[in-house]
Amino acid sequence: MNLYKTTFPIVAKYISRMGGNLDEAKDVFQDALLVYYEKILLTAAPLNNDIGYLVGTAKNLWLKRYGQSSPNLSLDQVDIALTTEESPSSTRLFRFLETAGRKCLELLKSFYYDQMSLQEIADEYGYSGARSATVQKFKCLEKVRESVKQKSLVYDDFME
Amino acid sequence: MTSWNETQQIEAYIFGIAEPEDALLFEAKLVLDEELAHKVIAQQKAYAAIRQFGRKQVKMEIEAITQALFTHPEHVSFRKKIIKLFSKS
Repeated sequence: MNLYKTTFPIVAKYISRMGGNLDEAKDVFQDALLVYYEKILLTAAPLNNDIGYLVGTAKNLWLKRYGQSSPNLSLDQVDIALTTEESPSSTRLFRFLETAGRKCLELLKSFYYDQMSLQEIADEYGYSGARSATVQKFKCLEKVRESVKQKSLVYDDFME
Repeated sequence: MTSWNETQQIEAYIFGIAEPEDALLFEAKLVLDEELAHKVIAQQKAYAAIRQFGRKQVKMEIEAITQALFTHPEHVSFRKKIIKLFSKS
């Protein structure tokens, strides 16, 4: 929340100056926050300039989506491609994943997306230790995998 | 071999963290076992689906913060500041 309050005005000011509107500013800033979140998950060390990273990401996203093509903008400045990944059918994806069970899904997300350790997962979900969390994780993964197989036709519809 | 053991082997293969000799053995099995090959493909899709699920959760959290900042009374000065940025013609 604090990072949001400090950084969003900087981004909004830039986008306003470039001729964009508030909805566009919100839109790109929210995606920039997601990129930032995934970035800090993957890099073990903290970023040395959180605000700079967020502002830079939001600017690039805005330019890419709404800005006029600018000769100053090289391709490697816009390496973030988030735009099309969240399709309108995400509710279908969600319903589909639910078949594996809510707890399973949360557990898998904690490990594969939030990068929690197996010990942390054991503590959080009430397993006796990392070993039993491991077994549980693979059993859950298997459930998701099996429903992927069963519903592969429907699934391909929204993954391609 | 229990099924979760196999799932673990598939994961090691997909993530490229299997020991070289295990990976070789696994590849040999893949050639012979069509069912296993289907499982590998489905498991890759499962990881992609979990990732999308994770992203969706984070997006919902971010959306909730945005909502709060732009609607709750205690953030009124923040809101005014932002609106002012876009109001000049």
